[in-house]
Amino acid sequence: MSGATVVIGADADALVAAHYLARAGRRALVVDEREAPDAPALEPGWIPPRVVRDLALERHGLVVHAPDPWAAAPLPDGGRLELARDLARSAASTARASRRAAHRRPQFCGRMARLARVLELLYAGPPPDPLARAPGELARMAGLAWRVRRLGRRAIEDLLRVLPMPAADLLDDWFESDELKGLLGLGGVMHLAQGPRSGGTAFALLHGHVGSPPGVFRPPRSNLVEVLARLPGIEVRRGARVARITVRARRAAGIVLATGEEIAADCVVSGIDPRRTLLELVDPAWLDPELVRAVRNVRARGVVARATLLLDREPGFSALTLAPSLDDLERAHDDAKYGRVPQRPALEAHAVDEAADAAGRRRVDVHVQYAPHALAEGAWDSARRAALGDQVVALLAAHLPGGAAAVVERSVRTPLDLEAARGWPQGQMHHAELALDQALWMRPVPALAQYRTPIRALYLGGPATHPGGGIAGAAGANAAREIIRDARRGRL
Amino acid sequence: MLRTTPFHARTAALCASHAWRRWAGYVVASSYELSHDREYHAIRSAAALLDVSPLCKYLVAGRDAARLLDRMVPRDVSRAGIGQVLYTPWCDAAGKVLDDGTIARLDETVFRVTAAEPGLRWLEANAAGLDVSIEDTSDATAALALQGPSARDILERACGADLAGLRYFRLTAARIAGHPVTISRTGYTGDLGYEIWLDAADALPVWDALVAAGTPYGITPAGMLALDVARIEAGLMLLDVDYVSARKALIESQTSSPYELDLGWTVDLGKETFVGRDALAAEAARGPAWRFVGIAVDWDSFERLFAEAGLAPRVPLAAWRTSVPLYGDGGQVGYATSGVWSPLLKQYIALAHVEARPAAPGPAREREGTREHRRRRAAAHVVKKPFFDPERKRA
Amino acid sequence: MKPYDAIVIGGGHNGLVCAAYLARAGRRVLVLERRERVGGAAFSEQVFPGFTFTVYSYVVSLLRPEIIRDLELPRHGLHVLPLESTLTPLANGDHLAQWSDHDQNRRALARHSPRDAEAYDEFGRTLHQMARAVKPLLGMVPPDPASLAPGDLAGLARLARHFRGMGRGVFHALHKLLTMSAADYLDEWFESEALKGTKSASGIIGTLLGPRSPGTAYVLLHHYMGELDGVFRAWGFAKGGNGSVSAAIAAAARALGAEIRTGTPVARVLVESGRATGVALESGEEIRAGRVVSSADPRRTFLELVGEAHLPGELVEAVRRFRFRGASAKVNLALDALPDFTCLPGPGAHLRGAISISPSVEYLERAYDQAKYGEFSRRPYMDIVIPSMIDPSMAPPGKHVASIFAQYAPYRLNGGWTDARREALGDAVIDTLAEYAPNLKSIILHRQVVTPADIERDVGLSEGSIFQGELSLQQLFSVRPAPGWSKYRTPVEGLYMCGAGTHPGGGVMGAPGRLAALTMLGARR
Repeated sequence: MSGATVVIGADADALVAAHYLARAGRRALVVDEREAPDAPALEPGWIPPRVVRDLALERHGLVVHAPDPWAAAPLPDGGRLELARDLARSAASTARASRRAAHRRPQFCGRMARLARVLELLYAGPPPDPLARAPGELARMAGLAWRVRRLGRRAIEDLLRVLPMPAADLLDDWFESDELKGLLGLGGVMHLAQGPRSGGTAFALLHGHVGSPPGVFRPPRSNLVEVLARLPGIEVRRGARVARITVRARRAAGIVLATGEEIAADCVVSGIDPRRTLLELVDPAWLDPELVRAVRNVRARGVVARATLLLDREPGFSALTLAPSLDDLERAHDDAKYGRVPQRPALEAHAVDEAADAAGRRRVDVHVQYAPHALAEGAWDSARRAALGDQVVALLAAHLPGGAAAVVERSVRTPLDLEAARGWPQGQMHHAELALDQALWMRPVPALAQYRTPIRALYLGGPATHPGGGIAGAAGANAAREIIRDARRGRL
Repeated sequence: MLRTTPFHARTAALCASHAWRRWAGYVVASSYELSHDREYHAIRSAAALLDVSPLCKYLVAGRDAARLLDRMVPRDVSRAGIGQVLYTPWCDAAGKVLDDGTIARLDETVFRVTAAEPGLRWLEANAAGLDVSIEDTSDATAALALQGPSARDILERACGADLAGLRYFRLTAARIAGHPVTISRTGYTGDLGYEIWLDAADALPVWDALVAAGTPYGITPAGMLALDVARIEAGLMLLDVDYVSARKALIESQTSSPYELDLGWTVDLGKETFVGRDALAAEAARGPAWRFVGIAVDWDSFERLFAEAGLAPRVPLAAWRTSVPLYGDGGQVGYATSGVWSPLLKQYIALAHVEARPAAPGPAREREGTREHRRRRAAAHVVKKPFFDPERKRA
Repeated sequence: MKPYDAIVIGGGHNGLVCAAYLARAGRRVLVLERRERVGGAAFSEQVFPGFTFTVYSYVVSLLRPEIIRDLELPRHGLHVLPLESTLTPLANGDHLAQWSDHDQNRRALARHSPRDAEAYDEFGRTLHQMARAVKPLLGMVPPDPASLAPGDLAGLARLARHFRGMGRGVFHALHKLLTMSAADYLDEWFESEALKGTKSASGIIGTLLGPRSPGTAYVLLHHYMGELDGVFRAWGFAKGGNGSVSAAIAAAARALGAEIRTGTPVARVLVESGRATGVALESGEEIRAGRVVSSADPRRTFLELVGEAHLPGELVEAVRRFRFRGASAKVNLALDALPDFTCLPGPGAHLRGAISISPSVEYLERAYDQAKYGEFSRRPYMDIVIPSMIDPSMAPPGKHVASIFAQYAPYRLNGGWTDARREALGDAVIDTLAEYAPNLKSIILHRQVVTPADIERDVGLSEGSIFQGELSLQQLFSVRPAPGWSKYRTPVEGLYMCGAGTHPGGGVMGAPGRLAALTMLGARR
């Protein structure tokens, strides 16, 4: 197999797609408009073992950071609720928050793990197409259905009941501890413009659980992007902004860079968001206006800001969540929904597990939710950015040794900054919100769910495709496999 | 409350029949006189003045105006010259007709689109990524049709210009009673005729000027009933009557492609892309499943049917708009969607959809109808459309 | 005396429908109603002399036409009059009107947005197609997806065939409708805030969810369901109020031979060796019957009337977490004159339809924000009808009654419902409405406020949930009311359920009662 493929974007999915194509004997050129990789050293996302194996990532220095305890939350009595990766070990800590929680948690974790297992089965390949008529696809679906049924009556019942639920209802069914529910509830709304009382957030909670051991409701963090970028076999061109995708004789024929340079290719894979790919880089004349409408309607609302703090001492935690209760989360979302920065955003801080820098400073990455992309009054500017930084430091100060004074430097990225720096539409990391109506065969829209576009040889392979963001590299690997299949059948 | 057109003050005064009907949310006269008879004959022998203001009208302007329309419709709009008018259907991605109408190139980058149904949303959907402005001028623009052999003489008198050079499906700017109008040599009657587009505010003086200029020539205001007879004679289809818009169809079999509506001539597969192209190219390759044809009922057979019951034949003087089955050798082979007794041709004619089975034998068909409470079949055959096609239409 | 074949607990419309169908099949049926009158929440009463209030439910949304035909309800006095319009007054003095006539409606919408006027038809077509796709499910006893029984597998196969046969467009549209929020779904179609607000309101009725919460889009579909059954203009008002619906069904049931005892509260279901054998009344009397069918909601049926001891732990757990969360209140007014709306002054056709206080999605969402944290909405969503405009017999000549459905009034109010809080809610409703109809306060002769706590106490609906449990996706079809028990049967042999807490739920009036009766009639002894 030969032929040149251009991959647009150098995020995890795009790079994985490029590597798979390169391994299938295609020339793969990755173009990215950023001059240098702009990702933090560690990005969250579970990497399917198959991708790790196929690309021999471990041999090339993949470091998966799975902190233990994986989460901690301050308790009103001054202690901390610490959740260890080992369920038994965290029982004692859970009991501090609530005896009942400690008692019920193992059962809850077991049932959720089984549901996450169902998602994992669905995430291993391209999305099932319930209306497919092809025998191969029917057989695959029958296989999936059989494997799901084997998980037992309870799993099927849970699946029907839990997926559409609000995370808040699910957690209220099981637990009383506000701190525990707040901590888990944040997992249900991560990167979502929804509060924990919104339907479908239980699905998001499970999505973040896929691939993790029972009881761990946050994906691990890894240096995947960095490893993929230096893994040999592909060419990566940075600072190359794509102006358009050329379409000739009704098929993608390459790209034109903003500089005017043309790069011919017999296949183009876009790892950037579908709206930009199809509505800006391609002449929409090639698309059905209804598809254009559907792509425009893909929901991608950014609600997350990121802060990086440099401390002059050890932070005293590996992970710390400040989401004291479901109500607190919900109220923060209320603010964001009307375009306001919340009084008390939910925070999740991670101490970056690397040696202190030359000055002996430690880095802490903070996920800040909810920060709306568009403000109802005014717009994001340096003053508002700084004010958000103040809020983050003020909220964290009580939990840092030395308080606010320990923070010697900080930087904040608003959704707007993230959009500009990372190319995330409206600052939405997953390119398309991970909601039930934008999952599986609906992701990002039904007509694009199988990675193909109406333009021959143009594929989507970014986080907006199944299984989506948070499952690092899976969408890229799926897209690459579909391309290779098409090439084999002479349909490329 | 239904709306009235800008000519209502005049049409209401003339409407002796009090017979009104709805058209796109407006009331328009079905016939002015007690019977539509004379109004029809005016179309074919003198000139009829018809209020066609309820048509939906859009002004599409801007650098990419031609590209937008070219993307939307199967005809090649880019080749239309300034002052040219194109009749065309437009389709969804499945190649099924959404609506049909005309596109008039008023200037290099300005077009007027007419449609039977409101289509602002679809125009805008097609405008993705283009530099174009779309204005709904349905209310602001009034429209009249002046149709019939004397139409040119009347219009020349009314606007004081020579229209001999205005060819079929071309338009020109003019003034009537001092008011600027656009005159296009188009119509829905299959006769010599013009359509006059004007500012709604100028409606009444323009109407009055046309009536004054036309009175010596026998100008007659005509309603929808007369128009319906004429358009069937002309073989022209009507949305919601002869076909269902793909936008409204509830099941696939209710939809029609341009090929199935005998509009294959409007489909330019040489264009690289337009909405529905792939589907239409595939259909062109395999041949359409249906044809849209003219049907004439055999008089002898029809007369015999009535004679058997001791009656003289009764023909529909006003057009019917119901679905009527057509039979061939192997059972039902199609259905007629509108039909009428042509007073000019002395023939019972209908527009019909018939299956395009390559093996379907000959032109012989049987058409079902009600005779004295019972359904009976009369012989019918396919005839060339238009049923009536006078030279003056194009000359 | 011949023993009863079946005892129906509860004389609400579902219980009565169930009893009527059983009686029609020749069964000897006894209906036991706690209150002095039948009707449950479909109940009309002269609370104020001369003025008939439809105290709780106030419109006939989707009373199944087959029930009307089968039970010959018109012969027993049922006459449903259509509601022809919806008026949404806006804060700026403008209004949005939706009419049943296509041209009139299009024109009214085009005033706000020509695009919306066009999209409205396509939206209607899409929902019509989806309603067509969903309708067979409403009339179907849901199969159990976790079961391996041949009947369930066949049901699942039928279901799969059905979904696969509906075509890609409809299938995907249905997926969206089931999983999206009403606000997001409507955003894909419309741009006018007033239209989106008013349409999304139907997604939140009876549910403690805001229009931006996924799962609220599905209920939009119910508005289109009726049209498929030839009930053009599905929303109507029963002559004499909704009490006359119950009265007609009760009359039909009696005519078919059913016996109805009012003022007869049931204390518990008698269960002997895992089998229901009858009921014990609060009076101590025991009545035996071959079958017992409860139209009470799942919580009342299982946890109060049956008792945990007779039930598997999983079902008890499922019933405990079944969400009720009543969120709706009613304010009924006796009026000296017609309310005069600033946006459309004077009397007119708009007063014969529904009036919806739903100027935007954000208005509804803000109303919900307060309810989330246990407060009632200070500026609630309201759906108002003036029954006396449709049926003059509801009030003395020249006078009027108004029925105001208001949301959100959460059952779990901070500090609980008291008389003072009830009246405060009434004030909030009147104050808000008076912003749009300034003469309102001066024409009120009498006011009745009904909170979810009142509904629970008076009608017996847990937490005042008007649907006997929220109509959210995780509580529909095969999991309503609990996984494995969606087929009107219970773990107690001979005990059945026929209330809105079973498939297809509330708002689809009478369907659970009918399906339960058909299930019982089909089941072998």
